[in-house]
Formats: sequence, C-alpha cells, structure tokens
Amino acid sequence: MPLVIKDEYPEKLFRDDGKRLDGREKDELRPIKMEVGVLPNADGSAYLEWGNNKIYAAVYGPREVHPHHLSKPDRGILRVFYRMATFSVFERKRPAPGRREKEISMIISDCLKPVLFLELYPGTAFEIYINVLDADGGTRCACTTVAALALADAGIPMRSLVTAVAVGKIDGELVTDLSGIEDKAGEADLPCAITWFNEELSLLQFDGNTNLEEFSKSLSLAKDAMHKIYEIQLDALKKKYIEIQEEFNGGEKN
Amino acid sequence: MMNIKRVISTIEKNYILSNLKKDQRLDGRDLWQQREWSVKSNVIASAEGSAEVSLGKTQVITGVKYDVGTPFPDLPNEGVCTFMAELLPLASPLFERGPPNEQSIELARVVDRGIRHADCVQTKKLCIKEKKAVYIIFVDIYVINYSGNLIDAGGISSLTALISSKIPEGKWENDEVVWTGKYLTGDTLVNELPIVFTYGKIDDIIFFDPSLPEELVLDGRISISVTEDKITSIQKSGVATFSIEEVEMLGKKSMDFGKKLRKDLNLWQYKL
Amino acid sequence: MEDEKEEINENPTTDASDDVDVDEFEDEETSRNLVVPGEILTEDTKNFLPGRGTIFNKDRTKIISLNIGLKQVRRNYINVIPLRGFYTPRPGDKIIALVTDKNPVKYICDINSKDKGILKPKNTVARGKPRRYRGGPPDRHDNNTDKYKIGDILIVKVLSADRLNKPELTTVGKYLGKRRDGLVITIDTPKIPRVIGRAGSMIKMLKNLTKSNIFVTQNGRIWLKGEDIAHERLLIDAIRKIEKEAHTVGLTDRMSIYIENEKKIRGMN
Repeated sequence: MPLVIKDEYPEKLFRDDGKRLDGREKDELRPIKMEVGVLPNADGSAYLEWGNNKIYAAVYGPREVHPHHLSKPDRGILRVFYRMATFSVFERKRPAPGRREKEISMIISDCLKPVLFLELYPGTAFEIYINVLDADGGTRCACTTVAALALADAGIPMRSLVTAVAVGKIDGELVTDLSGIEDKAGEADLPCAITWFNEELSLLQFDGNTNLEEFSKSLSLAKDAMHKIYEIQLDALKKKYIEIQEEFNGGEKN
Repeated sequence: MMNIKRVISTIEKNYILSNLKKDQRLDGRDLWQQREWSVKSNVIASAEGSAEVSLGKTQVITGVKYDVGTPFPDLPNEGVCTFMAELLPLASPLFERGPPNEQSIELARVVDRGIRHADCVQTKKLCIKEKKAVYIIFVDIYVINYSGNLIDAGGISSLTALISSKIPEGKWENDEVVWTGKYLTGDTLVNELPIVFTYGKIDDIIFFDPSLPEELVLDGRISISVTEDKITSIQKSGVATFSIEEVEMLGKKSMDFGKKLRKDLNLWQYKL
Repeated sequence: MEDEKEEINENPTTDASDDVDVDEFEDEETSRNLVVPGEILTEDTKNFLPGRGTIFNKDRTKIISLNIGLKQVRRNYINVIPLRGFYTPRPGDKIIALVTDKNPVKYICDINSKDKGILKPKNTVARGKPRRYRGGPPDRHDNNTDKYKIGDILIVKVLSADRLNKPELTTVGKYLGKRRDGLVITIDTPKIPRVIGRAGSMIKMLKNLTKSNIFVTQNGRIWLKGEDIAHERLLIDAIRKIEKEAHTVGLTDRMSIYIENEKKIRGMN
C-alpha cells in the first residue's frame, strides 16, 4: 500500500529570489564535513556529512581473498561494497543489496583502482565498505570521496586522492551538487570523479539531456567544485595530526 | 588488546579471568559497572525516528521507518512492529558481509522480545482501518562499531528511536488512506520503557556489560529485560550454566540497574 | 604504470632487543611537515631522488608522496615516514605470533599481516644433543607439532618472506619462544620505532617508570607484564598516547611527565 504521505516533488526547483530551494546559488556546494580514523576496528576509515548525506567508509587490506577463486596471482584485487541502510531513503529500502548498489559498487571500484598499486600485492584483496545511513542526492560521488579518504587513512600507498561531485540541470539551468530533490526532479545528472595525479576523470556517468555546450559547461562547473571539495579532503586528513602538533608545539622543524 | 581474530590467545583469556577473580577489569571498572552511555536522537533526516547510541566504544545507529499494510488475520486491528539488526563489516573484521547470520538474528530477536513483552509499542494504536490498513513499524539496528555488548546498546537505541519518532497520521477515507495533516509521536507509540541488561560469565565469575575482549573469551552470557517492576524477557546463550540463585540475583540487580538507568538517561526527553 | 613497480618499503627499521638506535621520528632529518598521498614534495628533480614512500610523477618533473606521513630529506633522497600502514614481514624481524591452526607438519600463525606465518617443527627446537631421561626416549619436538597449542603466543623471528611464499618463522633464538603470561596489545605498525625511541630511550623509560616488562616487536604487537593491573593499565594508556602523538617533538620527556602525573592521580607509586 502507498505511504500516508507520498514522495512528491515541487513544480519549480528555483525560488522567486533566483536561489535554489535550499537557498544555494547555482554553483554552490552544500555544507560538507569529513573526518578520518573514526572506526577503530577497521584498517582505515572515514566519515562524511554532505548536505543530509551521512556516510561511513571503512577499508580492510591487504587481506586474504574470500572467496578464494576471485584472487589474482599477479595483482591484488579491489572490492567495493556500497550499501544503503533501510532507513536512509524516503520509502524503507529492503536490507539486501539491489542491482543499483552492485552497479555503483563496481563504478566506485573502477574509479579508485587507478590510484592504487595493486600489482604490488598479488593474491590479496583490498575491501572498501561504504554504508550510506542517510541519503540526499549525489551519494555515489560522496561515497567515492569518502572512500578515497579511508584508503589514505589505512596507509595504503596511493598516487593521489580522488574527488567526486555531481553536477546537473534543473529547470533549464546548470547547477553544481544536486540535492536529493534536484536529482529526482531535474533534467540531467552528471556524476564524475577526478584522480588528481593525472587530473583525469575516473568516474563518469550521465543521465538526462543536454546539448554539447551545456555538457562542456557542466564539466567545467564540476572541475571547480572538485577543487573545493579536495581542499576539504586534505584538511580532514591532516587536521587530526596538526591539531596534536599545535597542542605540543615545541618548535617547527622544516 | 590484540587485533580481533577468531582465535583468542590463551594468555588473554587467563589475563581476563585472573583479574576478574580479583574484582578487576582492564578498563578500570568493577564487576557490576556498566560503561558510559552516549545518546543522540534525530540523527537521520530520512528516517521517521532515529538514534545514535554508544555504550563504551560500541556504537549503533537505529532508524525507524513505517509502511502501511494489511494486518495479520488473527490481529485485524493491530499494527506490527518488527526489528532487524545488521552487523556491518565496517564495525569489525569479525563481521562478514552477506545475509544476517546467527549473531545478528539473535541481536534483533532479543531486543524485539524485551520490548514486545513489556507491551511497550502500542500496536493497537497503529490501526488505521480494521482488517484493511495498519501501520508496520520497522526498527532497524545498524552496528557501526563493535566493542562488546551489542544487545544493551541495541535496546537503548531502539527505544530512543521509537520515542523520537514522528509518523504521518493516516485516516481511512473513500477506501484509501489519507493524511490527516498530523503526526503520531513517541508517546503514542511507546508505553513502557523496558531496558535490557547483559551479563557475562567466565568460569564461575559473573560480570556486567562485557567489553569486547571479555565477550570474546566468555563461556556464557545472559540478558535480562526489565520494566520498573517486571521481568519481561530473558535470553541465556553460550555453554556456561547459571544456578537458580544466580539468575534470581541477576533479576533483582537488573531491576535496580533499570530504575537508575531510566533516571540517568531520561529517554522521554527525545520525544518530538 | 610499468615504470612504477618500485618496492614500497613500509617497515620500521628498529628492533627492541638489538637496541638499534634509529627512531626516524626523532631524526634530525625528519621534518614535522605533514604530507598526504599525491602531495608534491619537490619539483627539483635534478638534485633529489624519490626514496621511501615517494615516487616520480609520469614525466619525472616532480616527486610525489605516496602516504600520509612526515617529509624527510636525507642526503639527496626525499622520503616520507608514514604515520599509517600495515606490516609486511621481512627476514630478521622479531614479531609476535598467535598459533591459529596446526597440523602434524606445521603450525599456522597469525602475524598481523596479509599472510599467515608458517612455523615448522624443526624451527622450534635448538640443534644439538637431545636431553636424555632415565629410561624413555629423548623428548624432541623437531618432527611433531606437540610443543605448541592453538592459542599460544610466541615471540618468533622471521626466517624468510617473499611475495610468492608464506613467511617462515622460528622460535629458536634469544628471547624467542612461548609466553605463558602477560598480555599483548596491537598498535599502528609505523609507530613501533617511537615506542622504542632513539637507542631504546623511550622503552627504557616506560619499563622503569611503570615497573613493567615490555617486548616491542615489528608487527605492531607489544607484549607486556606489569606488577599489577594498575601498572599495566597505565602502561597501555602511555603507549596509546605515544601512538597518537608520535609525530610531535619532545615526546620522550612529555611521556615521563605524563606517567609521573598519572601515577599521582591514580594513587600509584
């Protein structure tokens, strides 16, 4: 039976004052908070709040491969498990992973592989568990961003971090960082991620309709946003250590 | 302690047991002391009710969602409240991915029974139209960090999530459910405050609120749910045996702990 | 990516019982400059080479950090001393092993790395004449796995370790063998040198001030035994504090002040 209140979207996605429904400008990001080393039992971990998204990521590895037949003799494997909690969405989601979660797991895994040196760890597995506890648009980008932090926190050698963001088109206008409503009710959705060591895209999907000019502009909006989000990632990685250094500052050695 | 593995070292078990015999635990508690609680509600915007609870370093996040469905034929004017627990792999390398295993099923069922038999959730108030439409309330417990004693943490987080719930109120009109514009809140849903307390046993020593290293070496465990004046459910697990006197003693202790904890936590403050 | 198949060397280079005096965290050449993966360490590739934890970029115009850690310049090498990482066994390492399985021809041990360690019976008994008892055969365990049980904690040395084979261990040697009491804790592997300190200064101080016996090993595991649980608790708290502040200066002095203070606060002597 349908729920008492239906999941309905407003007619217009812009307010009368020209701002988006949550008060943002077209190129503005939602508030983002990140923290590393939050889960003591994992090898590496990170937590992210991005708008209403709340996501934990944990890394285990290198470890033995289970099931064994998946192991590769000449390199390590990377397995990503993107899962959404039952209460993370408007209508309760079944606990078991669905096709969408499995597809996104694979996309995120392909996105992160280029920064790792899997060939140095033959016969082993790196596992990333990403759990979305509260979802509000752009979860695959938020998950990629927090997973990269968790990998760094685990001390796994990386060529660089990876940063992701979703840009899109709502009511004919190009905007940065789609919220849940904008994602569902908008006209185009472009999630993408950049690997900083070569400044190329390692995650790229698109759903909707845009012309070539709009598409170019979207990528440029994305690049600007990714630089800003990257700063937040760097700060989260360093913050913990720098705060302790400052507390006991006995003279900088450079 | 050592990295959590399935095989526990003999010296670790000996260390824990020899200290318990002297009334000592590595985290400084005595045998009847519980770790510190931390409770936050309304942490999940998408859920109708939610709570993030820590007991020591054990951390769980519980969310309440609802659905509208047809009632059970033998309970035509009652809603349903159902519990689920997921032991997320990120909480511990001991938790494997995949469908719920014995441990997560036991966690969900023990928390469920403690709450159900206290007549805690008012399922009769969850009926929209007899025989046609009732609320189904889902209480889903996600373990975020495992540091021993998931049951007690699961219990408090479920209660808090239910108390903090805000569920759209429906009425039956023209053969369908329509929103009244109002919400059902925690005081409609929750009637009693049953609390579950878990004790571990190694050899013949019983102790309260096992931490992770203790939980991994204990011989047996017993969880007792209590309201202000009644025992509402008990679960004993593991190979250890408990004497009748021990069980009665633990029942009385649980009642006393319950009175104190209800005051200390004051869970009704989380009602919206 | 073919030219980037360098060995990435992540292990601490100290060993408790050998009193080797390298604590890279206290090194003159280690800065307090915190770097992260992908961070550019220098663009002066004429004068510098990538050392530990670093790599050239694709066109060899920059040296990049691979880890989160502290930048270190040693002669013309730029290194990164990692603050986080996992243990990789190397021959000669003294480590703590937990026997998790055994069959008649070998023990299988958890050594806090991706591979399990293998301990063969011949490596559990010193060579030489077997002790003889009146009547009865000599008591040798060099051809059976009766000596140790599942759940035993052993201090072992790594005999061999490479990418293709599981590491092989031995309990024959000074300080090696089964531990019958005490407890074992695990810390971040890269922080182990800090717990030892330059010329063993930190570990000596910890032993004296907490009146405890401590054995620090390469795989992040530390065996300890104090005169009572209060001392053990204090020692563990102290080690966790070292783990958290490993990247700061003046740590050894600060730790001895911390321990003295805590002893007062906790009413210990």
